[in-house]
Amino acid sequence: MIRRLHIAAITLTAAAAFAEVAVPTLTSRVTDLASALPRDSVLAIENLLADFEAKKGSQVAVLIVRSTAPETIEQYSIRVAEQWKLGRKGVDDGVLLLIAKDDRTMRLEVGYGAEGAIPDAVARRIVDETIAPFFRKGDFAGGVEAGVRRIIASLEGEPFPAPRSTTLPIAVDRHLPMLFVGIPAAGMLMRRFLGRLVAAALGGIGMGVFMWLLSGHPVPGLWFGAFTFVFIVAPDSNRRTFTSGTRGVRSFGSSSFGGGFSGGGGSFGGGGASGRW
Amino acid sequence: MSSLSALRRFIRLSLSASLVAASLVSSGCGYNRIQSTDEQVSAAWSEVLNQYQRRADLVPNMVNIVKGYAAHEKELFMKVTEARARVGSIQATPGLLNDQQAFDRFVSAQNELRGSLSRLIAVAENYPQVKADGAFRDLQAQIEGTENRIAVARNRYIEAVRQYNVTVRSFPANMTAKMFNYTTKPTFSPAVEEAPAKPPTIEF
Repeated sequence: MIRRLHIAAITLTAAAAFAEVAVPTLTSRVTDLASALPRDSVLAIENLLADFEAKKGSQVAVLIVRSTAPETIEQYSIRVAEQWKLGRKGVDDGVLLLIAKDDRTMRLEVGYGAEGAIPDAVARRIVDETIAPFFRKGDFAGGVEAGVRRIIASLEGEPFPAPRSTTLPIAVDRHLPMLFVGIPAAGMLMRRFLGRLVAAALGGIGMGVFMWLLSGHPVPGLWFGAFTFVFIVAPDSNRRTFTSGTRGVRSFGSSSFGGGFSGGGGSFGGGGASGRW
Repeated sequence: MSSLSALRRFIRLSLSASLVAASLVSSGCGYNRIQSTDEQVSAAWSEVLNQYQRRADLVPNMVNIVKGYAAHEKELFMKVTEARARVGSIQATPGLLNDQQAFDRFVSAQNELRGSLSRLIAVAENYPQVKADGAFRDLQAQIEGTENRIAVARNRYIEAVRQYNVTVRSFPANMTAKMFNYTTKPTFSPAVEEAPAKPPTIEF
């Protein structure tokens, strides 16, 4: 009898495992699968969070689903957190605000490193005292925005390591394609005055330094620098093959630097607070 | 001619056999895999212990706050304090991970503490003054957060043990495990888990 019960329990849990709500892939800071927020407020909150990440380095994301059933919001939330890996690796300064609209539950999941800035008691206050009153009035956009602002304010006071400097004095995103064409073109022009080798060396170094600054690692700088050097130094007849090469590089560059969002490798241990409205 | 080709075939066969044997020995006696999974189990277990300790540390504060409003709930306080004392009296030595019975005793003492603590909180919530106390609500949030951390740590421990146990049971690592005396490790069994997980019954 007991054995039969056991088997029943196992099959039941197996069935439940199949019915679990899937974790969506992370593509932006605000993922609204329940259509709870108007488009402009999604954009406003995303911008708020992107600016904060650029300034502080911490990653905060919002996920709104209809329901987490059959799991509890805590079980679903930790699965999302483990898959999304918000926050920087080693710093673990990620925060996830999860809202299950139809269940009328929400949870603030706080990464290991952010538990000092947002201890459980503070997380509960954000959920119960900041967000829930808005939700009770049916104002999801207002609640999420107020909550996000308080999360940011709490994280701001914490002495996290400075963000890796990816902000260059000029708006690189916009000028990126131009620079990829511009540096080799300038090198070609200079070849007339400085000679082939000197111009190629200058162009190569320029591109190398630029890519180093942009990516934060010397290796891409080295590769792009060498590539540019070869491009400028090569005789005209061989350039056709290189040109197709740069075109590939250019599209790679703009796709990886323009938009999109992914977690930085942070880990979570179940800290935070849940609430209802 | 035929004997020569038989000899050749024999040489070729023994060569390839020794190659297979050599690759087996060098790539997979499983020793390294045992080491790394064993290390993961230890790490996961120490996180479980950390969170158990965190909960035990929060108990006296909770008892004191509720006492301030409902001093007459003596039996309740006694149960929580006893459960906490029992948890404190069991030494969580590394040897615990090599003895399923000692492990079960330790875990059921922890679960008893969870049960009596959640009962205390449930009763306290029936007093409007307690529920309105900010310190109570903050502490309640901390205890809930810690319970959730324990659940997460426990699941990670279960997964780490699963990987370790699969490793030491499967060929060829099981030979290595036997040689170096690595046995399977205990994990949270449903029988121990279920009993105290029942919601506390409150009668007035």
